[in-house]
Amino acid sequence: MAASLLVCAFIGHVHAQSDAPAFSLRGFGTLGLARSSSDQAEFVRDLSQPVGIKNGQWSGRIDSIFGLQASWRVTTELELVGQAVSRLHYDRSHNPELMWAFAKWEPDPRLALRLGRIGADFMMLADSRLVGYSYLTVRPPADFFGPLFFSHFDGADAAVTLPAAGGLAHLKAFAGRTHEKAAGGLGVWDTSGSPVAGLVFDYTRGPWQLRAQAARIRFAADMNTGFLEAPLLASGFPEAAASLQTKDKTTRYLSAGLVYDRGPLLVQGMLNRIRHEAQVFEDSHAGYVLAAYRLGRVTPFVGMSRWKSKSRDDLPAVPVPVLGDYYRLFMAGGAVDRTTYTLGVRWDFQRDMAFKLQWDTVRAGAGASFSFPNANPAWDGKTEVLSVTLDFVF
Amino acid sequence: MMRVLLAMIFSAFVWGAAEARAELVVVVNPQSGIERLGEDDVINIFLGRYRRLPSGLAAEPVDIADGSSLRARFYRSLVNKSLPEINAYWARLVFSGKTRPPHTVGSVEEALRFVASQPGGLAYLERAQVDRRVKIVFELAE
Repeated sequence: MAASLLVCAFIGHVHAQSDAPAFSLRGFGTLGLARSSSDQAEFVRDLSQPVGIKNGQWSGRIDSIFGLQASWRVTTELELVGQAVSRLHYDRSHNPELMWAFAKWEPDPRLALRLGRIGADFMMLADSRLVGYSYLTVRPPADFFGPLFFSHFDGADAAVTLPAAGGLAHLKAFAGRTHEKAAGGLGVWDTSGSPVAGLVFDYTRGPWQLRAQAARIRFAADMNTGFLEAPLLASGFPEAAASLQTKDKTTRYLSAGLVYDRGPLLVQGMLNRIRHEAQVFEDSHAGYVLAAYRLGRVTPFVGMSRWKSKSRDDLPAVPVPVLGDYYRLFMAGGAVDRTTYTLGVRWDFQRDMAFKLQWDTVRAGAGASFSFPNANPAWDGKTEVLSVTLDFVF
Repeated sequence: MMRVLLAMIFSAFVWGAAEARAELVVVVNPQSGIERLGEDDVINIFLGRYRRLPSGLAAEPVDIADGSSLRARFYRSLVNKSLPEINAYWARLVFSGKTRPPHTVGSVEEALRFVASQPGGLAYLERAQVDRRVKIVFELAE
């Protein structure tokens, strides 16, 4: 309590002389409760979460987040930014995680270079998917952003912004190495050290924003599939054993999106395609649309999202009983087929704070429950998720 | 008779409202090297999308704190957004480490002083508040 008072006093001090502060400390957070009706599968925000919500029980674990950010403008051209965030981790802890730690150099308004730990830019309107106050929905659509569990990497990006054809063209290139771990049915998958690179193109004109993005990652490590690899090798199926490997395999991501934001009306949509060299993953498509109309401080919204994978036809045959059946079952476990319909409302009840209430109807295809932890194979794929959050920034 | 009376009351109301709403303008430093700005330029500069004046100078916009109604009126007429929307917009960009919001000052006088001291400075204020230290480059239709 004393510490939080001290922090408040400190922030008050920084704001008091906010003419052009060289140093600023700001924060954000979400107090979120959500319940998922099904007792057959857990609902998570994205694949980095080891446990989700189920059984109609209210829980704060998937959406509650707290972050602090310090920035220091050393000169007009150079800025240092650090951000730490506490949220549910792959190991079920909420230990603070260093999210950003970079130096930004802007020698000219047309050019920005960043070096250090920076955000993986997947959202159209921001790099961070954790600042609930900054977007409409309780969480970014899980069908679209669920597989994108990377939130930062260690490396650099360079962005150029130029006026073009009555609008603004913005091109960013990034490269670096990941520093993250993911949770899954096989336990923790440490992807640290995997090289990532990509290009992001945005074109903004009047109320329109168009985006196209290409990114790739080359995984530096295998998942914990040794328990299946070893018997496949021992039984003389090296190709099947190799199909489980992810080390040195590349995954490619392509996406396109469109935003229309004029006055009280906001409509946005994105599509993506993910292609994996590693045969243990299925290639997938996803998309979402979201529409909102602001009525004073209250903003109702509706949305729909879908994520579907394609089963592989290039898997090596394992023509032996038991092991062959188990191999096919295991490989089919990566199948995804889910659709979500969303209805919600955001209420900006006071400055820098918003309440949100959201209802999601989730429909997953039978047997395609990869993205739901601890799903019972007999699950009918249906669940209703109700969420209420208090989002704030300071 | 009743209709005439109602019409009179109505027009008095509209007239009064129009009078209370002095025109908003965007001003720059006379040394900025620019005479006019387009609406898109003003949007790009104040929303942090592209902070470069047509003369090549880096643009340094200044916001007047929420307490005055100027800030709300400015963003309402420029992009038809309310202050909560503008605040959410800045939360998005600040916590992504992408760009920073305009400097914030507490009063029109401070805004004028800021613009007068920065060659790339820009501020919004009522036309009647403009003085010789600054130059009008854009007028807002409310």
